[in-house]
Order: sequence, then C-alpha cells, then structure tokens
Amino acid sequence: MDQIKGIAYQIAGDFGLAWGKFFAQVIIFILVYTILKKYAFGPIMGMLEQRRQRIADGEAKLEKIGRDAAEAKQNSQAILDKAEADAARLVKEADDAAKLIQERRQQDAVASANTIIAKAREAAQLEQEQLMSQLKREFGRMVSDATSRVTGKVLNTEDQSRINQETSAQVSA
Amino acid sequence: MLLTFLPSTSFSPLLANVHSYASEFLKESSNLAFLTNSLLVAGVVVGLILWFATKATKNMTLIPHKAQNFFELIVEFLYGQVESIVGAKIAPRVFPLLATIFIYILVSNWFGLLPGVGTIGWGEGTGFMSVKEVHDPLLRAPTADLNMTFGLSVSMFLVWLYITIKEVGVWGFIVHTFGAKGGLKGLMGAMVALVFLFVGVIEVFSIIFRPVTLSFRLFGNVLAGENVLHTMSGMGGFIGSVLAPFPFYFMELLVGLLQAIVFTLLSAVYIQLSTSHDDHGHEDAHH
Repeated sequence: MDQIKGIAYQIAGDFGLAWGKFFAQVIIFILVYTILKKYAFGPIMGMLEQRRQRIADGEAKLEKIGRDAAEAKQNSQAILDKAEADAARLVKEADDAAKLIQERRQQDAVASANTIIAKAREAAQLEQEQLMSQLKREFGRMVSDATSRVTGKVLNTEDQSRINQETSAQVSA
Repeated sequence: MLLTFLPSTSFSPLLANVHSYASEFLKESSNLAFLTNSLLVAGVVVGLILWFATKATKNMTLIPHKAQNFFELIVEFLYGQVESIVGAKIAPRVFPLLATIFIYILVSNWFGLLPGVGTIGWGEGTGFMSVKEVHDPLLRAPTADLNMTFGLSVSMFLVWLYITIKEVGVWGFIVHTFGAKGGLKGLMGAMVALVFLFVGVIEVFSIIFRPVTLSFRLFGNVLAGENVLHTMSGMGGFIGSVLAPFPFYFMELLVGLLQAIVFTLLSAVYIQLSTSHDDHGHEDAHH
C-alpha cells in the first residue's frame, strides 16, 4: 500500500498534480459546462426541435396536399367520365330524335306530295271535263249554225238538241 | 517489484525540454499556486467558447445565420453520435456534458498549436526580449496539464456513477458487474458464476482506473505533440525551424481532433455499458 502511495506521490510530483490546480481546472470546466448547457445547448436543441417539428408539419401538409390532389384528380376524372357518358347519351338521343323527325318529315312530305298530286289530278280532270263540255256545246252550236245556214231552215229547239247530242257523241268517240 | 520500475515513471523529455507540468505564476505564494499558465489558457479557451456560443445563440432564427448554422452543425452531429451510443433515453441527460467535454478538449488541443503557446515566457535571458530557453512559458495548452485532464476524467467518472446508479440502481450495478450471464444451472452454472465473479473484480479495477487511463491518454498525446513540435522547431536554423514542424502541425491538428473524439466516445461507451439493461437476463427471469 505504501508502495502504491509512493508511486502516486511521485507521479503527482512529476506531472504537477496538486489539489488546488486540480479543483481550479474542475471549477473552470463546471463553469463552462453550466453556461453552455443553459445558454447554448438548450436554445440550440430547442431551435433544432422547432425546425424538426416544422419540417415534420411541412411533410404532413405535403402528404395531405398529395392525398387531396389525388382525390381531386379522381373526382375530376369521375366527373369527366360522367360528363362524357352524359354527352354520349345526349348525342345518341339527339341522333335518334333527329332520325325520328327526319322520318316523320319525310312521311309528311310524301303525304303532302300525294295529296297535292291527287288534288292536281282532280283539278285537271275537272278542267278537262269542263273544257270537253264547253267544246261539245260550242261544237254543237257551230254544227247547228252551219246546218241552219246550209239548209236555210230555222232549227227548233228539238232539232238543236238532237244535233247537239249527235255531235257530242261523235266528239266523245 | 513496483519500486524497481519507480524510476521509469519519472518523465524526462528526450529532445525538447518541454516541462511535464504547468508553470505556476506565483511560486512564492502557496495560496495562489493554482494560478498556472494552463489555467490562464483554460480561462482564455472558456472565454472563446462562451463568446462563440453567445454569438451563435444570439438572435436565433429558423433560417440560421452563419455562426448559428455552424454551432447547430456541431451540436446536431454530436447529439447524433451520443444518441447512437448511449441510446435515445439517456442521450438528453448526458449530451450537454459530453458535448462540453468534446468542444473544450478540441479547442484546448488546437489552442496549444497557436504560435507563442509554449514558446513565449521566462528563461535565461540572452538579450532584449530574448531567452536561451523558455523555462516557464506564459501559455500552455490546458490539455497538456494533467490537472485539467484528470479533472475532466474525474468529473466524467462522477457523472457516470450518478447516471449508472440512477438508471440501474446499486443492486442492478452489482448484478450487472458480477452476475453470471447465460442462464446456466447446476455445476456448470456455479462454475460460470465463479468466472463472472472474477471478471467482475477485474471490471471493478478497470472502472476505477478509467479516470487515470482517460486523463493520461489525453495528456500524453498532447504533451508528446508539443514535444515533437518543439523539437522540430529547434532544427536547422530559422528556415528549418519553420519548415520542419510544418507537416507535424497537420498531424497535431488531427491528433487534437482524434483525442477529443476518443475521450468523448469512450465516456459515452462507459455510460452505455453500465446503463444498458440486460434484456436476456430479464427474459430468463420471466421464464
């Protein structure tokens, strides 16, 4: 034990170990430790934590924005799909309606044309009959007139009627 | 046997005459004998650190200014290292101490490399403001004083002891140190328990000597570096004294950083070793 003590004293002497110097150094170290802990590491760690928190918040917000964007994209796609389907349906309906109207108009036009043609035929027939009747009358009058002039006889009503009938029959034939 | 080796413990520099102890300013006054050149530099180093810390933490903003950014870089790096060793639970408690130790040692080591430290002082005069050899330098790196390195390691040891007892308790520490691991039973278990008891005794000695090994490792490296630089500075006239130590300054910059890292990391590892819970042991106990 004495030997160890002797060695310790010799080392202390060689390297200038002394209680006063030792405690002076320890006090200086405790001083720097206390001040750094309170006024440097504390605020710096607080600032780092604050920054870390802000980054974490930013990342969370970014993630939320990403989710919202994906959701909005999905929604807009759904709206677009629906609009596209609606548009296709509307176009088809319009097409069908147009076809229907076209057919209806066509039928109406055909009916109108047929009616016009029938009416025209009727009118032509009527006109032809009127003309024929007028022709017969005129022809009969001309024949009667010619007969009276040739024969020099005044024709009575009976004669005129008979001549007119015969003339009409010949004209009709 | 021990006395046989006793003379070898006396330190005598081989080449340069760098003292192994700090010089006292007031040799006659025993009350103020603690005022040494290393204490003076320690005060300057503390002043420098506090000045920079104040500058870095003044008007702090989320977008940091230069000094704040640099200090944050150091703090964040150190915290990451400490946390990776001691774990997230204990890291907040020990970080301020370990970070202070690292910064204090690093600045002290590098301060010792400044021109004038160890070369300006008192000695046998040869003319106006010139001495043949500096016996009592005005400035000395604090880490080249065993009082400082031993003070640091003893402080670290006491903090280690406090954290260990608080974390695992006295009985937990005893079990952790002497307890048998492996969960063997019977004769084999008894033999293993004896082995672990013996290992525990060795471990206790190793723990007791930690402050000594920590302090002497740091002190020895810095003193050796100072010796190398002084020896190189004294070679080959004026040009030689400028060129010869030049490469060694880079080496000493590296050694200064390395020793600060070694001291800090070893302290962190010691804390981790004694505060880590033996999960397997607990599992065994539950089974």
